[in-house]
Amino acid sequence: MPTFANFNVKTTIDCKQGAVRAVRYNVDGSYCLSCGSDKKIKLWNPISGLLLKTYGGHADEVTDVAGSCDSSYIVSSSLDKSVIYWDVSTGTPVRRLRSHAGGVRCVCFNEDSSVAISGGRDNAVMCWDIRTRRLDPVQVMKEARDCITTVLTNENRIYAASLDGCVRTYDIRVGELTCDKVGEPITYLAQTRDEQCLVAGCQDGVVRLLDCETGGLLLEYKGHQADDYHIECGILANDAHILSGSGNGHAFVWDLLEGKVLQRIRISDNGGVVHSLATHPKRQEMLFARRRDMYVFSADLQIEEEQL
Amino acid sequence: MDEEEHLHRFGTPLEPIQKDAVPAKKPLAIEDQVVKDENGKRRFHGAFTGGFSAGFWNTVGSLEGWTPQTFKSSRAEKATPRAQQRPEDFMDQEDLGEFGIAPQGIRTRDEFAKEDEQEKRSGQRRRKLMQPEMSTGPIPGVPVLEKLLRPVRDKIAVRVLKSMGWKPGQGVGPRQTKKEKRQATARNKREQYLLEHYGAEGLPAQKENHADKVDTEDEDEEEDEEITFAPDDYEPMFFTPKENRFGMSYSGLSRDPILSKSSSSSGTPMQHINLFGQLEKQAKGKQLSIRGQAFGVGAFEEEDEDIYARDDLTRYDFSLADKKTKKKKQQFVQQQNVIEGFSEDKSGVALQAPFAIDLPRDFTPRNWLQRKSRFAPLDRARARELEAATEYKRSGLGRHDLNPDQRAQLLGEKKKEKSGEKVESPKRNPFKDPGKSLLERINARTEGFTKGGVITESGEELETAVSKEVKTSNAAIQEKAAAKTAELGEYKTSLSNSLPNPTCFLSGPSNGTFKPFLQDEAKQQRYEQFVAAKLKDEAEISKFLADLQPVTLSLWDREMEKKEFIQAAKIYRPLDGLMNDRFVSETTVQAEQEKEKKKSPEEGKIVMERSKTMWKPASLLCKRYNIPEPFGGAMLEPEKELKAKSKISVFDYLETSVNTKANFQTPTIIPQHIEKPKPTPKEVEPPVVERLKSPEPQQPEKPPQEEPPKSTFVPKTPLEKAVDESRDKPISEKKDLFRSIFEDSDEEDEPKPAEKPSSNPQDKLAALQEALGLPSTSSSSAASLNVLRNTSPPRGIFASLFKPIEEQVPKEPVPPKFAPIEGNKLKISYKSREERLKNDRELAMAEVPVEDVYGPKLPGSVPAKPVAPEDKAEASIDAKLQQLWQQHAPQKRKAEKWVEKKSPSSSEDSDDSSSDDSSSSDVSSSSKAKKAKKSHKSSSSKKSKKSKSKSKSKSKKKSKKSEKPKHKTKKKKSKH
Repeated sequence: MPTFANFNVKTTIDCKQGAVRAVRYNVDGSYCLSCGSDKKIKLWNPISGLLLKTYGGHADEVTDVAGSCDSSYIVSSSLDKSVIYWDVSTGTPVRRLRSHAGGVRCVCFNEDSSVAISGGRDNAVMCWDIRTRRLDPVQVMKEARDCITTVLTNENRIYAASLDGCVRTYDIRVGELTCDKVGEPITYLAQTRDEQCLVAGCQDGVVRLLDCETGGLLLEYKGHQADDYHIECGILANDAHILSGSGNGHAFVWDLLEGKVLQRIRISDNGGVVHSLATHPKRQEMLFARRRDMYVFSADLQIEEEQL
Repeated sequence: MDEEEHLHRFGTPLEPIQKDAVPAKKPLAIEDQVVKDENGKRRFHGAFTGGFSAGFWNTVGSLEGWTPQTFKSSRAEKATPRAQQRPEDFMDQEDLGEFGIAPQGIRTRDEFAKEDEQEKRSGQRRRKLMQPEMSTGPIPGVPVLEKLLRPVRDKIAVRVLKSMGWKPGQGVGPRQTKKEKRQATARNKREQYLLEHYGAEGLPAQKENHADKVDTEDEDEEEDEEITFAPDDYEPMFFTPKENRFGMSYSGLSRDPILSKSSSSSGTPMQHINLFGQLEKQAKGKQLSIRGQAFGVGAFEEEDEDIYARDDLTRYDFSLADKKTKKKKQQFVQQQNVIEGFSEDKSGVALQAPFAIDLPRDFTPRNWLQRKSRFAPLDRARARELEAATEYKRSGLGRHDLNPDQRAQLLGEKKKEKSGEKVESPKRNPFKDPGKSLLERINARTEGFTKGGVITESGEELETAVSKEVKTSNAAIQEKAAAKTAELGEYKTSLSNSLPNPTCFLSGPSNGTFKPFLQDEAKQQRYEQFVAAKLKDEAEISKFLADLQPVTLSLWDREMEKKEFIQAAKIYRPLDGLMNDRFVSETTVQAEQEKEKKKSPEEGKIVMERSKTMWKPASLLCKRYNIPEPFGGAMLEPEKELKAKSKISVFDYLETSVNTKANFQTPTIIPQHIEKPKPTPKEVEPPVVERLKSPEPQQPEKPPQEEPPKSTFVPKTPLEKAVDESRDKPISEKKDLFRSIFEDSDEEDEPKPAEKPSSNPQDKLAALQEALGLPSTSSSSAASLNVLRNTSPPRGIFASLFKPIEEQVPKEPVPPKFAPIEGNKLKISYKSREERLKNDRELAMAEVPVEDVYGPKLPGSVPAKPVAPEDKAEASIDAKLQQLWQQHAPQKRKAEKWVEKKSPSSSEDSDDSSSDDSSSSDVSSSSKAKKAKKSHKSSSSKKSKKSKSKSKSKSKKKSKKSEKPKHKTKKKKSKH
């Protein structure tokens, strides 16, 4: 049973790109990416707060970003209905993928970054082949009845959460679509490291833990304010704590098993929605996005030591 | 420093310049700055930066773009001097259009144009002429003739005036100072107004005094004497003395022709002046229009008000100055203007009270002009009158106003026994029943029409002869089955007992209103029970009906009855029932919403639902995920059309619930009850939360909600069902559907004496040879000669078409739809079972793969049926035939002879030909010709000929017969 240590703010970065729409770690957590409402993506060192690169080329707000497994490419989604595949080092868009009929809300890579999966406001999930130069999606899944808010994937499944209150699991191996209906609009979806459970942030201000196998509802986590925001949630690297932003400048950490609030992180006293967050793939560390700032919170003391 | 702390800062501070960073170089000069688009391409070109883009997307000079004009001139080839360049050469097309800068259009030349048009063209502002352009005659506006006929040249007077410096629009006379001019203008305006409104008999006296007034008002204004103005143009008033003794302002009919009138521009007639116009004006305030008009308004009629009278702002006083002085003056002035012999009334007494008229006692005022609507309620007196007139009707003395019941009552007869639920509502006029809704009333009205049989107005059925017959015939049968029905009766009673009130339970659909099966009372009862049961599933219905129906009914009858019931339930639904389905009152909607609101906090719990469906991942996706395709990629592709589309259209994403083929239903008058979405097989997981948490007292499960009573049953026809079911099936599984669709046609075809496919291979061979040997006999020989055709037996939908019909044969002997009519010349023969089996065997035989057969190979799994030796021979012959053809193609004659030798072996054909009396001379040859023709006719190959089914229509045969003689003749020729 991992003991819980309170999180403290490590770095605060003013992203200077308008409202920060999403913050994400790269594959090993050594870098982080922020998407801004100024149509730019910025690559940061989360510890030092150093801006490494800016990626510009979207025509509208960037909604989500994901780094490839070798950290040499980035894929980003934007409300301009396109998905862009970036070269990290040169900062140029390698491919611009347009097929969505609405703004693209979310994007992710599969494990070996050969397929990018995006979901958008056109209720469609699209799988893009990255290896070839094919510009149309490999597959389009249009089962959802409302905006896709999150797409996730592991080695044989694709998860898509939608505002129609369903988590759809496309099992590639079995050739089966499983639709788990929660009933509340799902604003974000995260997966545990052991791939057994899904954490779904719902519009009714409840984070729900879903069982992948049976589709059952395991636990509910309450306390935060969801209001009408697309508030993201996450699971910390040890699979023991669940995390969610809140509408009033706070963030909540729950115990995964007991469902009680472990820490209420006060990110800011003067409001602002903590809507986006990212958990470090290995450490007890996380990113929060609030207004135009990005916050790095950590419970590990070693980092400081490392830094020093 | 202190001060700085107190400062408030706004905005984002600039990033501090890092030490290492080299400061940017000189700012770019304006001429070096280049406008680029978002792709970094230079968009604008031209002489200067920020100029124009040359052509569409800078295409000037390129292949696609236009090339600028060039000028080339050499000593040898001199350039032809181009015509003078006009500005139009440099203008775009739209500049010359209607809204361009140089619009082009057809217009009159200046000589012929009107003055004002000329003015407009020359750019001068058009000046309003003082003279009235509008005619005051019966037709308002500018006189039409004047518009049409215009002098080509100015009049001489005008020309003279012009030469003296007069310009159109100006007045004639010495130039005036500003003050003078103003006065003149005011005066003229007033005159003008008077002229317009009062005609020639204006008020000359008032004019003057007004002018004076203006004069006095403008006294103190400083004047500039130097600047003079041209006087206003106005039509001077002419006074014509009254020379006749006609009435005031009356001018007799003019003898002059219309066109001779010199100046028609001034609409007012200038013949005479009415000195007493003033008096008249004061009395009436209106123009007395006794004019020289031959038609139009009569002398005794009142003229309409001048609807075209225009109000003029000059008539109103806008000055804010003190008006007291004015008033005084006016009074003074007015006194001056009183006509001689009269003096002004200074008392200022208003009009006396109106006359008190002694009205006759029985006078009722009525506006005779007011028209009365026929539909307006009658006035009381008249209503009374009418009532009195129709009194006899109301009291029932009108013979036809009584219905049979009432008459019966009057006569003291007993009423006929009627079914219980027949409500004894006054049927006389259903529309006058105030308690019912309109729809109900309509239903009540239409009730009489919808029933079968002859029904009196009261709804009683008159037993027709037919129904009597039926009943008598039924009686015998019913007696037989009395024992059985007794048992059934028990069931019925128990059923009726279980229903609290059968009549009230028969809500909506057949509440005494619709009795489609009145001819058969038992049937009607069954129908009512059926309706009451409100079954939806077809299986349920058949089960339910099976319990009800007497044993005497045959299976076929039962089935028919079921169909009838379903149909009737669909059709005989009252209109209000339909409407009830469609509309819900708002209150109920609100109530439901509130219920939901109340529910949600109570329940709060979220029940997870899981549903699984098949989903086919794209093969490339599987490859990328390094996963083998599920089922080896053999899954059915659900949406092929999507794949086919290279571009994804926006419309793909639109929620087209109605437009998808699956959801589309042909609109029917009967609204389908919206079926609540049946929960697809879902594995509803019990809420696991409770497992983890302390077990909470679970809320008691709600009793299964009762179906709303208004839900109605709209069954699908079996065909519809079949179509629905088979929509997703592969074609190979749709046999049943096709069969059901083509059932009728099959049945029609079946009994016809379709020619039995000749089983004799040699005969066939002969026929074919015949065809090959005689290319001239048919135009379609090429098709028949095509040996390399797909000879595989029909498969897929066609296979199902040609499938034997034994399976369809119902267990109960179905009465044949079309009984063979005796005396008909057509030979109608029913094929025996053996024959059909034979056909089948042939079909199966055809499936045996033959070498040299062109087409897809048949699956090997097809169970090879034992091939009859005869068939084998046939197959081998076919193979040989090809060789033969290749060898003997040129030697037609030879082949023909060979065929003829073989021909007598045909046994079946002789039967056929026997019917053909005309060809008695050469039976064999005619039969051969027939065969050949057949091979031509069927565009399919020789192989498919074998599989020629009984469905081959009679018509073909007929045509064959008609063409027979031709063949014969040809044949004879060839023999010689």
